[in-house]
Amino acid sequence: MLLSAQNVSKEFGNLRAVAGADLAIEEGEIIGLIGPNGAGKSTFFNCLAGETLPTTGKIVFDGVDVTTASPETHARLGIGRTFQVPATFEDLTVLDNVMVGAFLRHPHRTHARAHALKVLDLVGLKDRQDLRARSLGTPGRKRLEIARVLATGPRLMLLDEALAGLTPAELQQAIALVRKIHETGVTLVIVEHIMEVIMTLARRIIVFNQGHVIAQGEPQQVVKDEAVIEAYLGRGHRNWRKKD
Amino acid sequence: MKGTIALCLAFLAYPFVFSNAFYLDIGVALLLAAISASAWNIVGGYAGQVSVGHCMFFGVGAYLPLLVYQHWQLPPIVGVPVGIAISLVLAVLVGLPTFRLSGHYFSMATIAVAELIRLVVSTWDFAGAAIGLQGPAVGRGWYDLTFRGELPYYFIFLGVLVIVLAVTWQVQRTRFGYYLRAIKAGERAARSLGVPVRRTKLYALMLSAAFTSVAGSLYAIKTGFIDPDSGFGILVSVQMVIIAALGGAGTLYGPLVGALILIPLQTATNTWFGGGGTGLTYILYGGIIVIIARFEPGGLHEMWQRIAPKLWKRHAA
Repeated sequence: MLLSAQNVSKEFGNLRAVAGADLAIEEGEIIGLIGPNGAGKSTFFNCLAGETLPTTGKIVFDGVDVTTASPETHARLGIGRTFQVPATFEDLTVLDNVMVGAFLRHPHRTHARAHALKVLDLVGLKDRQDLRARSLGTPGRKRLEIARVLATGPRLMLLDEALAGLTPAELQQAIALVRKIHETGVTLVIVEHIMEVIMTLARRIIVFNQGHVIAQGEPQQVVKDEAVIEAYLGRGHRNWRKKD
Repeated sequence: MKGTIALCLAFLAYPFVFSNAFYLDIGVALLLAAISASAWNIVGGYAGQVSVGHCMFFGVGAYLPLLVYQHWQLPPIVGVPVGIAISLVLAVLVGLPTFRLSGHYFSMATIAVAELIRLVVSTWDFAGAAIGLQGPAVGRGWYDLTFRGELPYYFIFLGVLVIVLAVTWQVQRTRFGYYLRAIKAGERAARSLGVPVRRTKLYALMLSAAFTSVAGSLYAIKTGFIDPDSGFGILVSVQMVIIAALGGAGTLYGPLVGALILIPLQTATNTWFGGGGTGLTYILYGGIIVIIARFEPGGLHEMWQRIAPKLWKRHAA
């Protein structure tokens, strides 16, 4: 098992954002994390990335307890993450952005540069390497963020709505990119609102609602799950359908 | 590269072209200002941690050479490494707690610590209290570094500036330098990419403190006198910040460009208005802050980068 989270909870004052969530990820999986707004996905996600300290519970990555480890340590161990709102280094060039990530495993500048160029080639940003990050549009910056994480050589990549806000054409390219990354042997956890993305990419879906994992399983199976439909559409949806 | 060589030649030629004492004095003051602003630039410019308390390192560096002379009759230069060592310790002591703060809060904390040190020094008899300390009036030998003319100081200062800039240039190219710029651009993202943010900031502050301390030592050795205000006064810190910001914080030559503009300007206002113009320095600084913040937050460096391509285009057409 690559990562296991047991009974993870996070409380903000009286609010229980995550209430005893469990998750087990095997190497090579693509897992979709879905749920309505405010379900606790992002908080749980941040606990996995080491940015939020869980109130209770335990998270183990590849045999190492990372529950209280810093984000830096997570990166070093091989857990990479993207941000919901792209957090690219705006004043740095595209290449320099990726080099910051590459330096984690390649301390020497020339090696880091060579590795960064390889990654830029993979994500299709090589022709824009000398532009400043701020001059890229949203799709470009999301791609750059993925490239930057990829350069750190992660074994597990956490994508926080990395594909949101793209046009249908861009979305297809992004899906292809995620597939390509997966083929290189990276395990993926994807938080996403767009069902199309989740249904095509994820082999397994975890559904969050009010801080709990209410369902998990294969995509086709999960979308038919009573609890999931209820969480998304509300309790009255059946009556409403009947009336129709 | 061509620009760098031209710059070096210009600085080497300056004291021979403008050999009268007044211009030489401006040259020395300019070099000193460029050294301290370049030292500040490492942590304030590249890492974006705007310290307004760098006078604490400048002051330590300035006091130590005169302290070892006053109390033990040692050559002032002996105090330079001691000053660096104390500044490094001070950097760790100040950096560890204050780097938990970000943005303005960090700046305010550094001001507070620096003011605290200034107050302690101004009541501490060992350090000359409010009166200050004096160096050797007449040199006992070359090792006292008391020269009659300005020329030797000019070249010593120039040598130190070259060292500071060479180190900065090297830093820029290494992982450390990339990490500094990443921290400035976004701490949270930098951390998620495995950048050890607090340690990197601390190393930057230590490097910066060591150079600032040397700048203080040079000042004290040349002037032969130091008091709490000229060592630990807030104006000392503010000058570093303004010079770096004017030229372009976080760029190699930004602080030097800033010094090239500000120091002659400062000397000019002081000369025109004589002793009555002492307060003018504050007004000048204030004015520059307003202008930079309103029109050119990236400093002259960024303005140049924007304008230069257009100029070449016009030239070509």
